[in-house]
Amino acid sequence: MNNWFSQHMQTLELVLRRFKTNKLSTLLICLAIGVTLALPSLLYAVLDSANGLTNNVKSESKISIFLTLNHDDAAVDNITTALKNEAKINRFKFVSKDDALKNLQAVEANKDVLNSLQNNPLPDAFLIEPKQLDNDSIASLKSTLGKLDGVEEVIVDGAWLKRLNALLALGQKALTIVAGLLAFALVAVIGNTLHMQILTQQAEIELSYLIGATKSFIRRPFLYAGALYGLLGGLFALLITYAAILLFNQSLAPLAAEYQADFALHLPRFSVCFVICALALLLGIIAAYLAVSKSLSKSIG
Amino acid sequence: MITFDNVTKRYPGSHEALTGVSFSIERGDIAYVTGHSGAGKSTLLKLIATIERPTSGIVLINNQNVSKLKEATLPFMRRQFGMVFQDHKLLYDRNCYHNVALPLAINGITGHEAGKRIRAALDKVGLLGKEKAMPITLSGGEQQRLAIARAVVSRPAILIADEPTGNLDRNYAADIITLFKAFQQVGVTVIIATHDALGQANLENKVLHLNHGKLASLGLENAEATA
Repeated sequence: MNNWFSQHMQTLELVLRRFKTNKLSTLLICLAIGVTLALPSLLYAVLDSANGLTNNVKSESKISIFLTLNHDDAAVDNITTALKNEAKINRFKFVSKDDALKNLQAVEANKDVLNSLQNNPLPDAFLIEPKQLDNDSIASLKSTLGKLDGVEEVIVDGAWLKRLNALLALGQKALTIVAGLLAFALVAVIGNTLHMQILTQQAEIELSYLIGATKSFIRRPFLYAGALYGLLGGLFALLITYAAILLFNQSLAPLAAEYQADFALHLPRFSVCFVICALALLLGIIAAYLAVSKSLSKSIG
Repeated sequence: MITFDNVTKRYPGSHEALTGVSFSIERGDIAYVTGHSGAGKSTLLKLIATIERPTSGIVLINNQNVSKLKEATLPFMRRQFGMVFQDHKLLYDRNCYHNVALPLAINGITGHEAGKRIRAALDKVGLLGKEKAMPITLSGGEQQRLAIARAVVSRPAILIADEPTGNLDRNYAADIITLFKAFQQVGVTVIIATHDALGQANLENKVLHLNHGKLASLGLENAEATA
C-alpha cells in the first residue's frame, strides 16, 4: 500500500516537473482546454439564469376575465361570489372599465388616442391569481370561469411564458450538442498533446520497457498528465466563465434597470464548478488513455 | 542459471537469426558471445534478457521457461538483468545522475536509498564527479561507463553487454573489460558480445562463437555442451 502510494506520488512529481520545464506549452494547452470548456459553461450560466427568471415570472402568472359590455351589476356580484368560493383561486381583483380607462390615461402617450374616443371601449375585468400553475389545473379553471354568466372571454396570461419555456428547452438542447462536440474537441486536443509527448519521450519509453518497466509504469505519467491538463483546463474555464459573467453583469445592470427588472446572470454554484472540473478531469483521463494505448502499442508492442 | 536448448529464432519475414542453439551458462560465469557482424549475437542477448522469445526450443532463465511465461511477468523477469546496449541508449535530456536513477525508479526505489546506490554505481565506474554532467558532454568511453553504471545500479544477478568495447580504443576497451571482470568477481554472471573475439576473449573463459546463427565452438569449460 505504502509502495503503491509512493509510486503514484513519484509519478505526480515527475509530471509536475515536466509541466514546470515546459511552462509555456502547458499554459497554452490548459488555456485551450479552458476556452473550450468555458463556452458550454457560459451557455449553461445564461440558461440557468433565464430559467430562474421564468420561475420568478410564473408566480406572477395571471388569468384575466373580461366581461361582456352589456352585462348588469348582478352579474359582477355573481362572479365575485363564484370566485370567492372557487378553491383553486389564490387572490382576485375587480377592475371596472372606468378604472381601466383611468389607468390608461395615466400614461402620457395614450392620451391623444383615448381623447379621440367617444365612449369607453374597455370591458369590466377580473384579474385572478390561481393557486396551482400547472397546465391542467389552469385549463380546468379556465373552462369553469368561461361558463359563468356575463363572461365574454377568459385569457390565460401565459402564452409568452410557454414560448419562453420552449425557447429554453431549445437552448438546453443546443447546450447539450455544443458540450458534446466540444468534449470531442477536448479529447482530441489532449490526446494529440500526449501523442506528441510520447513521441518526444520515445527513447525513454523504449529503454524503460527493455529494462523491465511494466506497461502501466510507462502509461501512468501520461495518464496523470492528461488528468492534470483536464483539471487545470477546468479551472481556467471557471476563471473565464466568472470573468465573462461579471463583465456581462456590469452591462446588464443598467439594461435591467431600464426595464425595472432585477436580472443578472448568476455565477455558477459550487456544485456546478465541481461538476465542470470533474468532467474535465474525466475527459482528460479518457483522452490520455486513448492516446497512450494507441501510441504506446507502436513503441512497446 | 541460463540454459538454451535447441533454440531457433526467426523474425517475421526474415531468415533464421539463430538456428538450433544449445548451451548453458552457470552462475558467476563470464561468457563471451563472438562472431561476425550479423551472426546473431544481439539476438542471442535479447533472448537471454527475455526481450525476445524463441520461435522454437527452450530458454531457461533461473529454471523458468521464458516461452511459458505470461507477457505480464516478463518486465519483472527483465529486472534481473543489467543491460548495456550497443547504442548505449543514454537519455540526453537529463544528467548522469538521473540516467542512472531510471532502473531504480522502475524498481520503485527512490529518495535517499536511491541516491546512495546511484553514487555507488557512478563511483564504481569512475564517474562520481560527473553526476550533474549531461551525457552529451561525456567522451565515448565515459558514456560507455555511464551505461554500465546504469546497468549495475539495481544490483542485477546477470550483466549483459552488447559490444561494450565496440568503438573504444584498446586501452579504454581493456579498462571496460576489467570493470566487467570486477563485477564477475563479486558473483555477477557476465555475458559480453563482441566481434573482436581474439582481442578480449581468451580461452580461459566460456566463448560462444556464432557463425550465421549457428553455434560454432564453445570454450574449454563447456565442451560437453557442443555435442
